[in-house]
Amino acid sequence: MNQHYPVSDEALIKAATRGDRDAAAWLYHRHVDKVHRICYRIVLDPSQVQDCVQEVWLKVFRSLDGFRSGRSFAAWLNTVTANTAIDYYRKYVRQRNLHEAHKGHVEALATDEQADEAHVLEQIQTALEEISVNQRAAFTLRYFEDMPTSEIARTLGCAEGTVRVHIRRALLALRERLAGKLHQ
Amino acid sequence: MSFEQFKDLFQRAFESEEELQEEYRAFLSMFEQLNRAPVPEMTDDDKATIFNRAWLERPQKVSWISTWMNFFKQPAVAFVLGIVIGCMVMSNAKNKRLDLAQPVSADTLLTIERTNYTQTYKGKMIEEFYPEFENPRIVLEQTEESSPPQRTLYGTLDNGEITVVWNL
Repeated sequence: MNQHYPVSDEALIKAATRGDRDAAAWLYHRHVDKVHRICYRIVLDPSQVQDCVQEVWLKVFRSLDGFRSGRSFAAWLNTVTANTAIDYYRKYVRQRNLHEAHKGHVEALATDEQADEAHVLEQIQTALEEISVNQRAAFTLRYFEDMPTSEIARTLGCAEGTVRVHIRRALLALRERLAGKLHQ
Repeated sequence: MSFEQFKDLFQRAFESEEELQEEYRAFLSMFEQLNRAPVPEMTDDDKATIFNRAWLERPQKVSWISTWMNFFKQPAVAFVLGIVIGCMVMSNAKNKRLDLAQPVSADTLLTIERTNYTQTYKGKMIEEFYPEFENPRIVLEQTEESSPPQRTLYGTLDNGEITVVWNL
């Protein structure tokens, strides 16, 4: 994907480490949507997603000097994003009462004009919340980001077999939770 | 998720391909529902805010040399520093006038002393040229303007006991 851009990620990283703000902004805008998507699917609470995205980019800019050229920036960014989102979610769950936060979210969606659509989305959101954060991360990267299992294993720092187990369990749990609800 | 991807995950759980396909079809409606749950996009303002914060909070490597250089580049500091240095130079010039008749250092490479009729060359260079003599010096004498200059080497031997005068 990187080779389709007129300026490579590596060149932008070099310029950004020298303090070039424009290069950093270019790099950021090139990847921010994907970072946001992954954070959203893992953290789930829309009110928390921006903080999570912010945390990812703070880590990226702080450790840009240590980024080794020759490695794929996109793959490195996926690793930073997925692990930051998993940690963020765990901290968030510890700090706040998840049940109350969820309740508020349902009410907000229920007032929307497209109530039926919102109801389906909410059911999916609830089902995704009920699986473990590691399963959700593996499932998100495989299903929504179309990432190969081997790459997910590298991203999450676990064995390929573990990733397969996570995805299988996530799929089965989602089907179990969604099968009855979606057709109501 | 394609059937191939699904098969890759669940192949061992089913005995036949037909069973696997049947299970996949059962999953399809769930996949359709999942695809109906898009991620809302961030606004440009939100993106800009996140970038600005993250960029500003990054650690900035500043070497101590550039820190000092930047300090002295400040106009007020440069102005004060100029006045202080100027005062020091003026004070030094007033209190210690330069002594123009300083004695010749032993390490001076070549010293030339001139009179109306002679030029005397001495110093480290001459000593290295004639290391066998003590205090060697070459004197050029010209008694008349039309006569050729006479070059003579003066020096001593044996701690000054023997004086050497050598016409070159």
